[in-house]
Amino acid sequence: MADKFEEDAIMKQRQQLHMTVFSQCFSPCGKFLVTGNNFGRIAVFSLVSALSPDIIEDCRKPILSFQGSSSAIYSLIATDKFLICGGEGDINAWNWSDIYKKTPKVAWSLSVPVDGYFNHPETNCLSYQEKDNLLYSGCGDSNVYVWDLESGTRKNTLKGHKDYIHCLTSRYNGQELMSGSEDGSVRVWDTRTSSEAVHVIEPFKHQECSRPNQGKWIGCIAVDSSDDWMVCGGGPTLTSWHMRSLTPTVVFPTPNICQKHVMFHEDTIISGGTCSNVYHWTINGDMKSCVPCTPTSVYSIAINTHSENNRVLSTCGSGYKVDIFTNFGYRAFSLLFS
Amino acid sequence: MAASTIDFDAARERISQCIKVSLSSNSFDLIDAQYGNIAGSEGEKKMVFDQSLRDVLKDLILQEKGPKAYIVMIELAISSVYKGFCTPSTPFILLADISEVVTLEVCDDIFKFVETRVETWQEPIFYNAGKNYLLRVCNDLLRRLSQPQCTVFCGRIQLFLARLFPLIERSGLNLMSQFNLDNVTVYNTKDVEGSLKHDEKDESMDYEEGEMGDSMSGTPIDYNLYRKFWSLQDYFRYPVQCYNKEAWRRFGQHSNEVLSAFHSLKLDEVHASKKKLEQMKKDGHRYFAKYLTSEKLFDLQLSDSNFRRYVLLQFLILFQYLNAPVKFKSHILSREENWNTWKNEGCPPFVKEKEDDSEKQVKLPRSRKRSIGEDMKTAGPNKKIDLGSPELTRLWNINPNNFQACQDERRQFVPGVDELFSEAIDQADPAAQIEDEYKLINNSNYAWRALRLLAKKSPHFFQPSTQPCKSIPLYLENMITKLAKEMPAPAEEIKTEDENAETDEFLKTSDDVETPDQSSILTLDQLESVANKLGDNWKTLANELNMSDDEISALQTEHPEVKVQAKEMLLTWQMKEGNSAVKHVLLSALQESGLKDIVESVFPDNEPGDT
Repeated sequence: MADKFEEDAIMKQRQQLHMTVFSQCFSPCGKFLVTGNNFGRIAVFSLVSALSPDIIEDCRKPILSFQGSSSAIYSLIATDKFLICGGEGDINAWNWSDIYKKTPKVAWSLSVPVDGYFNHPETNCLSYQEKDNLLYSGCGDSNVYVWDLESGTRKNTLKGHKDYIHCLTSRYNGQELMSGSEDGSVRVWDTRTSSEAVHVIEPFKHQECSRPNQGKWIGCIAVDSSDDWMVCGGGPTLTSWHMRSLTPTVVFPTPNICQKHVMFHEDTIISGGTCSNVYHWTINGDMKSCVPCTPTSVYSIAINTHSENNRVLSTCGSGYKVDIFTNFGYRAFSLLFS
Repeated sequence: MAASTIDFDAARERISQCIKVSLSSNSFDLIDAQYGNIAGSEGEKKMVFDQSLRDVLKDLILQEKGPKAYIVMIELAISSVYKGFCTPSTPFILLADISEVVTLEVCDDIFKFVETRVETWQEPIFYNAGKNYLLRVCNDLLRRLSQPQCTVFCGRIQLFLARLFPLIERSGLNLMSQFNLDNVTVYNTKDVEGSLKHDEKDESMDYEEGEMGDSMSGTPIDYNLYRKFWSLQDYFRYPVQCYNKEAWRRFGQHSNEVLSAFHSLKLDEVHASKKKLEQMKKDGHRYFAKYLTSEKLFDLQLSDSNFRRYVLLQFLILFQYLNAPVKFKSHILSREENWNTWKNEGCPPFVKEKEDDSEKQVKLPRSRKRSIGEDMKTAGPNKKIDLGSPELTRLWNINPNNFQACQDERRQFVPGVDELFSEAIDQADPAAQIEDEYKLINNSNYAWRALRLLAKKSPHFFQPSTQPCKSIPLYLENMITKLAKEMPAPAEEIKTEDENAETDEFLKTSDDVETPDQSSILTLDQLESVANKLGDNWKTLANELNMSDDEISALQTEHPEVKVQAKEMLLTWQMKEGNSAVKHVLLSALQESGLKDIVESVFPDNEPGDT
């Protein structure tokens, strides 16, 4: 028994050294941060106690952690009722009320269609459309699946990408879906039909942003609140596109850095990628600030908009530390995924 | 003396009357006349006048005449100073007397008068005599006044002092570069509400309980940085803390974090601050004596360029202080601190070793009697200190206490007065019929020793003499006759010489009271003959005599010849063992090591029963 225990402890230490936190989301109440790592574990942090005036080390540790999937969790999103997690294998969901009670149990799960016996496609990204209660999942088999959460069935499959999907975002209140893929294209879908993509944008073919040495993959994509502007990056430089004319307008200078996550926040664009910095840009492409953070590679940036008290920015990526920025300008502290 | 006291009381009485009269009549004639009438020196007269002035003032105060009467009194004192009736410090003493006993309101009126007479105080006669009194009066007043309530009066006093003292006056200067330790920046270090909330949260994560957080401020606060940031103010307040290792480490850590936050957090946009700059030009320079330390302001402060400039300037000042040659001041301060702690502890004596010594001596009276080396052994084997080289170890371990070793009687090389001079006294006796040139006193070597001994021990040496310096032999002769008179009877003299002989032989015997009987003592001759016969066997004997390997190897390295080695070994043993180094011990050791023949040849008279 003792040996087993020791082995576990060593294993845990090793896991900590090799940990990558791929995904994160805030609970609908805005008081908790949920993160998922490459070992399939989900950790829940309490922002309230982490931000409380009395600084105790324990506040920086997860208050709850459970196995969410058999291996890496690539995507986490929160709906009003459920925490939905996508990774290798099935898409699982938990009731928030169960998580608050610290008794998480899988509420439902969706199985991604299997193509062949050995080929379980992973879910790289999820997107939720509240109006129709639809869930989109971008998968490793180059397909985007549309799920009806009401019935729990797969409603539609969007085919067209030639390689796996990196990222998803929706536009026009969920009428349009955009997906970025390893094949270098951004496809715009009309979710009401199951036909081919409406538009195909291929940034690597544009000289302003193409970077052949970094590849052509699109790692991140975001649309602003007016739905007129889209920002995407990855292999090609981070670029904003005018959606009506489908032309690149502003190139954000990020030499040798591939962006993995981009988001609009108020009037700034926040992005992170293969360096330990979080960039803040103006819409015109000027860098507002470059804020150092702990992970050497940033996989996800999230801002808690659910609760004004805990309005923090958090970044996660390589390493077990999840950085919290209270004032977006500097790293206040790190939560420890353990 | 007696006459002058009577004079003093009477004169004091008279002058007091005159002053009272002149106060009411406002004329000086009477005082003039009376002052001339007093008999006595100028100093005495002044003293009487000073005292009379104070007496009159005391009466005035007791009658509570009010500030005007007091002011008239001081005016009178001032004019008396001009006339030379009293010492220049008198008006100030009167002022001090008044301010000490009257209420603050009256003090206010008196102070108005003091303010109007700044020019008078600055006159040379008054300035030197009275500046310290005035300073003291002002400081006493400041201490009595409530700082937040009587701001106007406090300010007036400060202004007055500024006017009174010239700019180059050093008394107001912080010469020791002391820090204003009262300037503490208070910030929020604890939040009871927060910890409560935390405890509740641990039990369950209910939605409702989490709601409690909403009562807090709008935006999240980074309490970690907030506390570290404001804790730095304490170092700026009192930079000497940086010389403390732990404090310096914490300072480095905190300032690193603060500076990295500064580094990563961009300031407000430039054009915005430009606008502010213009505004500032209009408003004039803004100055805050204190920081606002609310945690709610912290985010705003971090992105405020002016605030950041203040803090960075504080850093620079601190670093400059640490680099500057003012540094040594801090050492002065620390010395001052040591001095103070010493005084606070009731001035403990520094000579602690002595006490310990006496204790030891009380504890171990027996071992002290035996030998120094033995002391070491009884003290325990752990106390033996290895100094690396065997010889050093031996030397060191002869006695654990160096002072004690030095005080040992064997180290008393200075002979007594009696010893040294007894021969010379004998020679001085004409009956001895010794010719002058053979007398000891003519021996320069002896004369030198004699003089030193006299200087040390004899009271005659320091007797004052008006005679010019004689030659040393003559002087010594003179001394010897003096000493001879003090000397005890010649019979006893011989006895002392016997004692001397004994102490000379301290290698064999010891200074013990209970000397062992003569037969068991080993003589040097005996030892030598034993040593000669020992040859290479001395090492086995040494082992038998409980000599350590270190000592043996030391002897071997020191002396190439075997005979010398053996002899040295025996001597060392004797020195080490002291009184217990008696014949039968050596004999039994010899027998144990199988050297019976030596026993027989060196100690033929020894009977086997002895061993």
